[in-house]
Amino acid sequence: MNDSLRLVCEAVDTLDIDGIRDLVQRCLEEGHTPEEIIEHGIGKGLDLVGKKFEAGEYFLADLVMAGEVVKEVMPVLKERMNPVDAPRRQKVILATVEGDIHEIGKNIVGIILSANGYEVVDLGVDVSAGRILQAVKETGAGIVGLSVLLSTMVGGIRTVVEEAKAHGIRDRIKIVIGGACTSRALCEEMGADAYGENAMDALRIVNGFSENA
Amino acid sequence: MHPVERVLRTFEGKETDRVPAFCAMVEGRTYNEVLGKPLVSQERLLVNPVATFALDRWGPLLTKLVFQHEVTRSMEKRIKAQVELGFDAVWAILDETFIVTDHRTMVRFTGSRYNLQPDGYGNMTYMYREPCFKTREDFLEWPYWPDADDVAHSAYRFFSAMMKKYGHRACLFGQASAYGIQESLLWAVGFERLPLWIRRERDLVKRFIEINEELCLKTNMALLDAGVKVVIQTDDFAFKSGPIMNPRLIDELFGPSYRRIIKAVHDRNGKYVLHSCGDNTLLFDTFISWGVDGLHAYETTSNVDIFKEKELHGDKVTIIGGVGVDYLLTDRSRDEEVVREVRRLIARLGPSGRFIISPVHSLSTIPAHKLRVMVDAVRTYGRYPLSPALEEDAA
Repeated sequence: MNDSLRLVCEAVDTLDIDGIRDLVQRCLEEGHTPEEIIEHGIGKGLDLVGKKFEAGEYFLADLVMAGEVVKEVMPVLKERMNPVDAPRRQKVILATVEGDIHEIGKNIVGIILSANGYEVVDLGVDVSAGRILQAVKETGAGIVGLSVLLSTMVGGIRTVVEEAKAHGIRDRIKIVIGGACTSRALCEEMGADAYGENAMDALRIVNGFSENA
Repeated sequence: MHPVERVLRTFEGKETDRVPAFCAMVEGRTYNEVLGKPLVSQERLLVNPVATFALDRWGPLLTKLVFQHEVTRSMEKRIKAQVELGFDAVWAILDETFIVTDHRTMVRFTGSRYNLQPDGYGNMTYMYREPCFKTREDFLEWPYWPDADDVAHSAYRFFSAMMKKYGHRACLFGQASAYGIQESLLWAVGFERLPLWIRRERDLVKRFIEINEELCLKTNMALLDAGVKVVIQTDDFAFKSGPIMNPRLIDELFGPSYRRIIKAVHDRNGKYVLHSCGDNTLLFDTFISWGVDGLHAYETTSNVDIFKEKELHGDKVTIIGGVGVDYLLTDRSRDEEVVREVRRLIARLGPSGRFIISPVHSLSTIPAHKLRVMVDAVRTYGRYPLSPALEEDAA
C-alpha cells in the first residue's frame, strides 16, 4: 500500500481525529482519488478498528470515535467525488420500536454503518411499525434495523414483521434486531432475520445481506 | 441477628446467621401494592389540563413548591415499602436533581433532559431523552448547576427523618441527589459526543467531574452524619456486552474522584457500594482498587458471570445481586421458579459469606408479591450453616 494511504489507515486505526484531515489532504494532493482513499485508507482502517473491538482491545466508545474520525474527512472526500463514480450505497433504516426511547445502541450502529459506506436512514426513537414501513417504501431500503431496550416493548418487533407481511413487502426486506433485551432466541420468536449483539456484529450482518442482495 | 448487624458483618466478611436480602429499590406500582393506592394517582395529579397548563407556564417555579414535594413523598414510600416487604437492606434515595421545564420535560441539574411520562400503572416516571450539553457554550451557560451545600443540607434533613423512622428496622443504603460521575457526564453530553469531548473538551470534562465529585462527597458526608451506615452510588460503566470505554481510561478519568470519595466514606466508618449495570467483568478489579465494599448488580441479561466473580473476587468484595427482573420478578414467572433461583444463588454464592441476595434492578413491572416470595425464600433457605440439600441446586 502507498505510504500516504497507509498513514490514513493508521490514523483511523489509532483514532487520530486531529491528524486525519492533513493526511487525507496529502493523499489528494498526491493524486489519489477519493474512492481510493476510502477503500484503501479509511476502509482498511475501519477493518482494523473492528478487529480490535472484537479482540477486546477497543470498546464501544472507541467505535464511536472511529466514526467521528471518518466523519471528519468525509465532507472533503464527498466534495471531490464524481457523482458518476461514487459507489452506490445500500440504504439501511434504523429505528427504536414504538414505546421505547432508548437510542444509544442504535446510534452506535448508525455511526458504524455510515462510516462503512451505508446510507443510514435513522427514524429515531418510539417509531411505529407504520412509519417504518412507509420509510421502506419511500427509500427502497432493503434492510431494517430495530432496536429495543425495554423487555416490555419487544412486541414492537413482531408488529413490524407482521405488518411487513400484511403490506406484502416482507420478502424484500431483511429485519435485524439488537438491544439490551434482545437475543437470538427472541429473533426467532419474533420472526426477524438476524440478531446483532453489538455494532460490529450488526455491520457483519448488514454486509452479508448486502452481498447476497 | 438485627438486619443492620447482619448486613454490616457481611461486608466485613464476618459470620452471620443468614444471607441478607437487599431490595434494589421499588417503583410506583410496587410500593402502591405494598402500601395501598393513593386516592388520586400521580398520573391524574400531573396529567390534567390545569396541571399541564401550570407546568408549561411555571414549571421551574412549581418544581420546588409542588413537584419536588410529591417526588420526596414517593421516595419515602419507596423506603417504607421495601422495609415492609421484609428486606434486611433497602435502597433509600432522595432525588432533588430535577427541574420541571414543562409538563412533558424535566432536566437534571447536571445537564440531561428527560421525558416525564406515565408508567402504565397510574404513576409518573421519567425516561432519558437527550443531553443538554451539545456545545461548549451549552456547558458554560448552564443555568441549573446545583449548590452542593444546599443539596447536602436537604439530604441531611431527609435522611435524619428516614433513619428515625426506618433505621431500626432495616439497613438503609443511602443515595442523595448525586448520580454517578461517569453516567452523569454520559447523560449530559450524550454517548455519541462523549469520546470527542474527552479528547477535545478535556477542560470541561475535568470541570464536570469536579462538580460531581463535590456533590457526591458533600451528600455522602451528610448521609453519614444522619446516621446512614452504607452509601450506595449508581454509576453504569458498562453495557450488556462490556465496558462503555477502555477500563484504563475509566480509571484515569474517574478513579481519582472515586478513590477520594470512598476514602472519605471509610474515614467516617461507612461502607461504600457501587451499582453498575451491564457486564463489568473487565472493570471489577478497577472498582475493587478504588476501595468499594460491595458491588451491585451483576445484571442477568448481560454477559457477566456472577458465579465466576464469586470465585475471583468473593474474598475482597461483597457481591450483591443475582435475581433477574426480566422474567423472575415479573407477573409472568411462577413463585416456585423464584424460590428455585433463590436456593440456587444461595447454594453457590452463600458459602463463605460476602453475598447479599438482591434483585438486579428496580423496574416498574415488579410485582410486590414476587419480592415477598423472594424474601420468604431467603429466610427459609438462607440460614447459616447452609443446608446440604441446597447443594443439589448448585449442581
